[in-house]
Amino acid sequence: MTATASPPATPGTDTAAPAGRRPVRVVVLFAVLVAGLVVVSLVSAAVGQFGIPLSQVVGSILNRVGIDVLAAPADPFAEAALWDVRFPRVVLALLVGGVLGVCGALMQGCFGNPLAEPGVVGVSSGAAVGACLSIVFGWTFLGSFTTPALAFCTGLATTLAVYVLARSKGKAGVVTMILTGVAVNAVAGAAISFLVFAGDQAAREQIVFWQLGSLAGSRWVYVATIAPLVAVCAIVALLLAKRLDLLSLGDRQARHLGVDVEVLRLVTIVVVAVAVSAAVSYSGIIGFVGLVVPHLIRMITGPGHRVLIPASLLGGALLLVAADLLARNAFDYADLPIGMLTALVGGPFFFWLLLRTRRREGGWT
Amino acid sequence: MFIRARSRRFAAGVALASVVLVLAGCGSAPEPTRAARVPEGNADQTPLSELTPVADPRSYEGPSTAIVAQPDIVPVEPAPRPRLPVTVTDHQGTQITVDDASRVLALDRSGTLAATVFGLGLGDRVVGRDSSTGFPAARDLPLVTSNGHQLNSEAVLKLRPSVVLTDTTLGPWSVVLQLRDAGIPVVVVTPQRTLDNNGDIVRAVAGALGVPDAGTELADRLDREVEAKRAEIAALAPDDETRRPRVVFLYVRGTAGVYHMFGKGSGADALISALGAVDVASEVGVDGTRPINPEALAKAKPDVILLMTGGLESVGGADGAAGIPGVAQTPAGQHRRFVDMNDYQILSFGPLSAPVLDALARALYAPDSLKAAG
Repeated sequence: MTATASPPATPGTDTAAPAGRRPVRVVVLFAVLVAGLVVVSLVSAAVGQFGIPLSQVVGSILNRVGIDVLAAPADPFAEAALWDVRFPRVVLALLVGGVLGVCGALMQGCFGNPLAEPGVVGVSSGAAVGACLSIVFGWTFLGSFTTPALAFCTGLATTLAVYVLARSKGKAGVVTMILTGVAVNAVAGAAISFLVFAGDQAAREQIVFWQLGSLAGSRWVYVATIAPLVAVCAIVALLLAKRLDLLSLGDRQARHLGVDVEVLRLVTIVVVAVAVSAAVSYSGIIGFVGLVVPHLIRMITGPGHRVLIPASLLGGALLLVAADLLARNAFDYADLPIGMLTALVGGPFFFWLLLRTRRREGGWT
Repeated sequence: MFIRARSRRFAAGVALASVVLVLAGCGSAPEPTRAARVPEGNADQTPLSELTPVADPRSYEGPSTAIVAQPDIVPVEPAPRPRLPVTVTDHQGTQITVDDASRVLALDRSGTLAATVFGLGLGDRVVGRDSSTGFPAARDLPLVTSNGHQLNSEAVLKLRPSVVLTDTTLGPWSVVLQLRDAGIPVVVVTPQRTLDNNGDIVRAVAGALGVPDAGTELADRLDREVEAKRAEIAALAPDDETRRPRVVFLYVRGTAGVYHMFGKGSGADALISALGAVDVASEVGVDGTRPINPEALAKAKPDVILLMTGGLESVGGADGAAGIPGVAQTPAGQHRRFVDMNDYQILSFGPLSAPVLDALARALYAPDSLKAAG
C-alpha cells in the first residue's frame, strides 16, 4: 500500500502502448467497444428462453417506432416477453455495467491504488445491509421499491460514514480510508450474517440471491429510476477526468497544479456512492466489473482518465450485457447468478494481471 | 511480445475452463435437494383406526419411513366449468380480473397451490409446476422454478399462462411484477401453511379460477378429512400427557452443517400438534426456522425427529443423522428414532393434509404396521 507515492494505477501501460501509437489505439478501442456493445446488446435482445425468431424481434422493435417492414410476433406473450422482460433487462445490464466500470476507474484514480473498487469504501456491503433489513423484516412501505430504496440509502450512508471516519484535520488519507473501509465492511458483514440468522428460510434464500447478484427482475420503472442518476454521475466523472490525471502525479504535485485534492476526493466518493448504490440496489452485488474493466482499458490505451473513464463506461456495460446473456440462457427455466459469472471470469483474469505485472515490474508492493 | 501473447492465451484458457467446469457441475445436478420421486402408495393398507399402537411410542427404537397411501390428488367430481370473467381481491388487496383459466400456473414453495388446482378438478389446465410439486399427475410438467425457488420470467411466459396463482415465498418478487406488466393476471394468496387455513387457500384459488362452488366443496371435504383424521389419531395417541412423544422437525442438508429446527409458524408445528405429540421446537420458543444449537437440542430431549427423506439421505441415513452433534445426545438419536417422509409431501398441506397426517401417525404410533406391510 505504499504505492501512493508514484502513479501506481498504471502498471504495464508504458510498455503496452508506445506514445506515438496511442491515438490510433484509442480510436480502435472506442470503435471496438461501441461495435461490441451494439452487437452484444442486439444479440442479447434477440436471444432468450422464450425463443422468438430474430426477424420478429426486429419487426417488433421497428413496429414500435412506426416502421412496418417485418412482422412483429403475433403472439401477445412473445411481445410481452420482449418488451416487459427482456428489453428492460438488457438496458439495466448496460446501465449497471457502465456504472460499475466508471466507478472502478474513478476509485482507482482517486485513491491512486490499483486495488480500489467501489466495494472498498463499503458501498456494496452497506447496500446489502439495507436490502437484507427490508427482506428479513418484510418491510413494504414503498411497495416494490422498498428493498432498492433501502439498499440505496444504506449504501450511500455507509460510504459517507467511511469518508467521515477516515477524515481528520480536513484530510482523508488514502491508506486510512481503505483501512477504515475494511473495518466498516467487517461490521456490515456481521450485520448481514445476523440478518441471515434472524430471517426465515425464504428470507435467507432472497438474501443469498441478492448477494450473488441478478438482473432477473428488471422492469422499465427500475430503468427509469436509475437512468438519470447514472447519466449525471457519468457526466460528472467525465468532468473530473482531467483533475484525476493531475492527481496521479501525487497529492502534493496535484495541489501545486491547483487541484483541490480534498474536494476532488469528496466529489469522487459521493459520485461513486450515489451511482453504485443506485446500480446495485436493483441488481444485487456484482463483483469484479469495477476492478477488472479499468485495468483492461489501461493496458490498451494507457492511464489517461479522459480516455479511461468513457472507455470503462462502455467496457463495463459490454462485460455485464455479455455476462447477463450467458446468465439468462445457460440453463432452461433458470437464471444463473450474474455476480458468480463476473467473479468467475474476473478472478482468474485479475490473477493473471498480477503475475504479468510482477514479471515486468516486480509487481505492486 | 511472445510471452505476452502466450500468457494472454493462458489466462483466457483458465477463465474459459473454469466457466465450463462450473457450468458442467451445475448441469449435472439440477435438483439435488429433492428426493427423486414420490413413493408409490399402498392403497389397501389397514385403516388407521384399526391399528394397535405400540405400548410406549416414546421409547420405540429404530427409524420409520412414513409413506402416503394415496400420493395423487383426489379431485372434486364432476370437474367444474369455470364461470369467467371474475374479479377478485387477492391476499395483498390487489384487484385482479381473470377472464381465462385455460392455462393455469400455480406456484409456491410448499406445492400447495398446484395440488389445490388439481383438487378442484382443473388439473388438466395446469401447464407447469414449481420444484415442490411432485405428485404423479403433475411430475412431468415443465419445472419453472430453479433450485433456490427462483422464478424466471421468460420461462414462465413461454408457457403462455392465462392466469398465475402464487404467494410471496418465491422470488424475486420483481418477476411477479414483470408478469403483471406483461398483462398476465397474478393472484397472490397467503404464504401461511397450517392445517387450519386449507379452506381459505382453497376458496381463494377456486374464486380466482371461477369455480367457487367446487371450492366450497373441496374446502369442506378437506376440513372434514382433517377433523376425522385428528379424531383417529387421538384414539391412537396416549391419553397421558407425559407419555406423548416429544417430536422435533429438523431440516438437514448434507454433512456441511445445514441443520435447522422448524418451530412456530413453520407448518411443522401444526403437523406435530395434530399428531397429538409435543412440539419441542415451540416448547423451547423457536419462531420460524432457526439453525440448531446442539446443546439446546440435547437439552430439549426430543424422542422422535421428523425429517424429509432427501434430508435424511443427505446426511447418510439414520446412522449419519444419529451422529449429528446435538442429535446424538437426544433420546431420539440414541434410539435412532427418525421418522422421514418424502420432501414433496411432508409440508405440502392442502389436499394432502389428511393423507400426510395418516402416514405420519402410523410411523409414530404403530411403526410395526409399516414393517408388516412390506
